[in-house]
Amino acid sequence: MHDPIITTDNLMVELGGNPVLRNLRLTVSPGEIVAVVGPNGSGKSTLLRCLAGLQPATSGEIRVFGEPPADDAAFWGRVALLADEPAWYPGLTAREHLELMGAVHARPRMTVDAAMEAFALTERGDAPPLNLSTGQRQRLCLAAALLRPSTLLLLDEPERGLDAAFRDRLTGLLAAYADEGGTVVMATHDEGLAAGARQISPAGVGA
Amino acid sequence: MSGPEASVRTVRAYLRSRGRAPATMIDRYAAVFGLAMIAAVLGHPLSGLLTGLAGPIDPVRAGAGAALLALAVAGFLAAARAAGPVLLPAADASWLLLSPLNRRHLLGRTARALGVIALVAGVLLGVGLLAVLGAPDQLGWRLVGALVLGVSATAGGLALAVLGQVSPSWQIWLTGAMAALLVLAVVAMSGQLRTVMTIAASAPLTALAAAASGAAMLSALLVRRAWTSLDRIPTRTLANASTRAGHVARATVSLDPGALTWIAEDNRWRARRLASRRWPSLPAPFALAWHDWRKLARTPGRLAAVAATAALPAVLAQAGGPPGALGAAVLAGALAVASLGTSGARRDADNPALARLIGVGRRPALAARAALPALLAGVWAATALTALTLAVPATPQTATVATVTATATAGAGAWWVLGLLAGPALAAAALRMAGRAPVDHSMPVLDTPGGAIPTGPLFWAATGPDLALLGCLPTAIALLTQPAVLTPFLIAQAVMGAVVLMGYVWRTGRMR
Repeated sequence: MHDPIITTDNLMVELGGNPVLRNLRLTVSPGEIVAVVGPNGSGKSTLLRCLAGLQPATSGEIRVFGEPPADDAAFWGRVALLADEPAWYPGLTAREHLELMGAVHARPRMTVDAAMEAFALTERGDAPPLNLSTGQRQRLCLAAALLRPSTLLLLDEPERGLDAAFRDRLTGLLAAYADEGGTVVMATHDEGLAAGARQISPAGVGA
Repeated sequence: MSGPEASVRTVRAYLRSRGRAPATMIDRYAAVFGLAMIAAVLGHPLSGLLTGLAGPIDPVRAGAGAALLALAVAGFLAAARAAGPVLLPAADASWLLLSPLNRRHLLGRTARALGVIALVAGVLLGVGLLAVLGAPDQLGWRLVGALVLGVSATAGGLALAVLGQVSPSWQIWLTGAMAALLVLAVVAMSGQLRTVMTIAASAPLTALAAAASGAAMLSALLVRRAWTSLDRIPTRTLANASTRAGHVARATVSLDPGALTWIAEDNRWRARRLASRRWPSLPAPFALAWHDWRKLARTPGRLAAVAATAALPAVLAQAGGPPGALGAAVLAGALAVASLGTSGARRDADNPALARLIGVGRRPALAARAALPALLAGVWAATALTALTLAVPATPQTATVATVTATATAGAGAWWVLGLLAGPALAAAALRMAGRAPVDHSMPVLDTPGGAIPTGPLFWAATGPDLALLGCLPTAIALLTQPAVLTPFLIAQAVMGAVVLMGYVWRTGRMR
């Protein structure tokens, strides 16, 4: 039995005096895909931020890789977080952002060419990211997150802006990531993405 | 009153009634009283300054001064073109631009504002012109002539910029005018214009009157043409300029000038056609820092312009700048140049999402990112100091670094090394500027007899330059005191630069 990647115990988070997460208990094992589902405002993004160490808990305990999440290089070396669209580096093309990602990590999961192909960006490689459509930018974000090596992938609404065909393809890409031993926790409203995952609701106590 | 005018007025009146309270008699009294006070306070020193301009001046200083004036007007035109110059407040652009309201009436307020800007800039230019050429006789009339010439130049230039918004063919004229000004600056600096300047300085009043009226007529023609074509400015051009203005206003209100550079930078790159190139195999922190190098390599024109600005302290020296101002110009210029190489650090400070995805530690990333700004600042400062030592012997009466370099022995020719050694400290300062948080408006406001001073923006503005001053203290002292032997200052600057940069990287890399 592998040690769990993530454990939370009686996790409570209040934002501006409003309880957003209450007594959340969650255990995620290596290789699992977990879909955090629920209506708007149910605390999905807050849970992801807690797991990434970007939102302190009001009470309770969060452990990622057996210790509290820390905003440092060692942590981000193992965790890839994709929440809102990042700020792109000025003067670089879409492809060069992926090249940078590949150059920084010693053993990328795929080559830049393979990532461009898998995320249907080959024809737009020379465009600055801001000249891409919303969906193409989201594909670029996902390509960057999946090109780099990681143990845990935290995704906040990865389906944002994607067409139906690519959402199906994303399900396959995430399954392949999990097959390699990676763990995925994603907040999603997409039923197709959630269907292949263990579904939890932050509103449901002790999910 | 015609129909369309009434409707624009009605809309404006409605907006005013919903906005802030209308100006009362007390407000108007306060405004007039304030202007009268300013006139009373500034009147005496201004008239003193103007009478001080009487008499002939040194032709070398005149050449350098003319170069600075030409550069200032070129900068004014460039700023006008970058801003629009015809633009609307973002809200007006969203709600009133795409409506059947009369376009020229809608833009009338902007046109009046541009008129005021041209007038103020023109008066400054006119006074500058008089300061450069001097007034051997008839100070009053020469001042009037210079002011007319100055206002004609700025009003004509702004009209040209407005016409440039209407059609691309006028855009070419504007570019031509700016190029001509730059050429004029270079020629004036090289001393080729000395005869022309002497003739212009001692020109009889009739010639001055003819030149002034000719300039005024040409300018009036351009202004008239710009006014009549106001309603032909394409909506797309106006909307773009106004969105920029909206960003500017927001950035000004929230006092976050960092947002301005983001907008300018993003717009510039969105318009560029780029070709992807392979990323070099470097250790992870340097692979991350390579972004700044590649970005800079993609703007060779900008690099050339930056290299040319290294001559500005020398021009300032020829125009008679004191050593303190020259030292400040060298250090501030080098800091500004260093900032060109910190856009990656600035992006990551504003939005660390990509940095987290990349996963390089803060300390190694900062250390690797310091290399480019250190090189840029060091080379620029070295070039500027070399230009300064080369340029100044032409004016033996100006006491600057070169007077010492010319006479001193060992170590004195090494001013450029001092510039190079200041690079690391300036890189630390530029990185500190890139990483500073937005203005903290919760900081206390100091009540002084001259009015309230908010400390938040002051602290924000000082973040970065403070480290530059500390790290470049040996260079600053050397520039001010002009020592005969530079060696101790070189050693002190080398140590100080290394300590400041290492200290900054170590301390900032630890903080989260």
